[in-house]
Amino acid sequence: MSAIAADPDAPGTDRPPVLSPMLRRLAAERATGALMRDRGTLYLADGQVVHAESPATPGIDVLLTAGGALRHEGWWDAVAQAGAHRRVGRYLVEGGHVPGGALELCHLGALYDAAFFALAPTGTPARFRYGVAHWIGPVRPVPVAAVERETLRRREFLDRIWPDPACDGAPLLRTSAHPSDAPVPARQRRLLELADGVRTASDIARTLGRSAFHVLVDLRRLAAAGLVEAVRAQPLPASSPAGRIALPEVTADPDIALLRRLRDALEAL
Amino acid sequence: MPGIDECLLEVMRLPGARGASVVDWTSGLALGTIGESPNGDHEATAAETAEVARMTAEQPAFAHLAPDGGPQDRGEAPGTPVEDVIVTTHDGYHMLRFVETAFDSSVFLHLWLDRSEGNLALARMRLGELAERLVLA
Repeated sequence: MSAIAADPDAPGTDRPPVLSPMLRRLAAERATGALMRDRGTLYLADGQVVHAESPATPGIDVLLTAGGALRHEGWWDAVAQAGAHRRVGRYLVEGGHVPGGALELCHLGALYDAAFFALAPTGTPARFRYGVAHWIGPVRPVPVAAVERETLRRREFLDRIWPDPACDGAPLLRTSAHPSDAPVPARQRRLLELADGVRTASDIARTLGRSAFHVLVDLRRLAAAGLVEAVRAQPLPASSPAGRIALPEVTADPDIALLRRLRDALEAL
Repeated sequence: MPGIDECLLEVMRLPGARGASVVDWTSGLALGTIGESPNGDHEATAAETAEVARMTAEQPAFAHLAPDGGPQDRGEAPGTPVEDVIVTTHDGYHMLRFVETAFDSSVFLHLWLDRSEGNLALARMRLGELAERLVLA
């Protein structure tokens, strides 16, 4: 196995790190409202997570319309009809626009994905607005503890595949390397085709109407295979498009060749 | 209008059903669970079975993929041509049934059946029906 055990947060302790003390407190007091963090928002009702969104990952509207599960007009009609009453989800199901099971699957997936990004480490303090509800309305509430557990598991999961987060936020470029031992699966091939040196993981996710976390998982696999790499930031400060999240780079210039050799050595063990 | 819980309740009505779950095979997340889990931890089981589902879904042998990763099957089918995976153990059956959705997803149903009470053929047919009904209203 090529997994590297790295847990800088809590050496020697079994207790998982607390992602957001504020979120814990809000769950304990069964709060209702919106927890706004640097990279996304969690909506709570009675201390449970009922919705989450993050600019890093496509919302449920993009996911449903991109795949053809719902037409754009159908979505906007639902928002117009039921948005003010904050029951868009129920309207979509009751009107026969989206099957109940499909809405639950799509919404749950989007919730955990957005929460993963929203709960990313940040230096910016979070804010909570009591009483705010999201217009999607009740679909399938999730306990805060489950969201925290899943977010931590996902971080470890990504690092187990390939312990270098360089591809998570930077523009991506496919390398000239050829897949050696196994052909690239169709889902990963579609990502590879969009890695044009400009698009980031979030851009690709939006283009494909696919969860950004799913995209990260496939990108780490492609990076591990040496098929994709992050484009290094140019020294001249190009005007970055508004809305794109600038992630601080931990290492300005990681030694890719060294990382490759490390990986090869670990795999040979 | 059935949802995840209704679907899982229906699955558990199959003779010999011990436990079931709805799992996302890219992330390993359990979207819904019911009954027992082989190792007492539905979340861990979901992560483990997800890996099996992913390997199966992505195997070129099952996916009619061109060996050089060529443009042969680019982008047409949203999901995998694999319908299900069946694993037989000393005392049970495990059935992973892929769920096809109209949006991008990687979801499957996992059913754990008792070997002496379960009927594999019946369970396979029924699980296929329920996987369809889950997303087709």
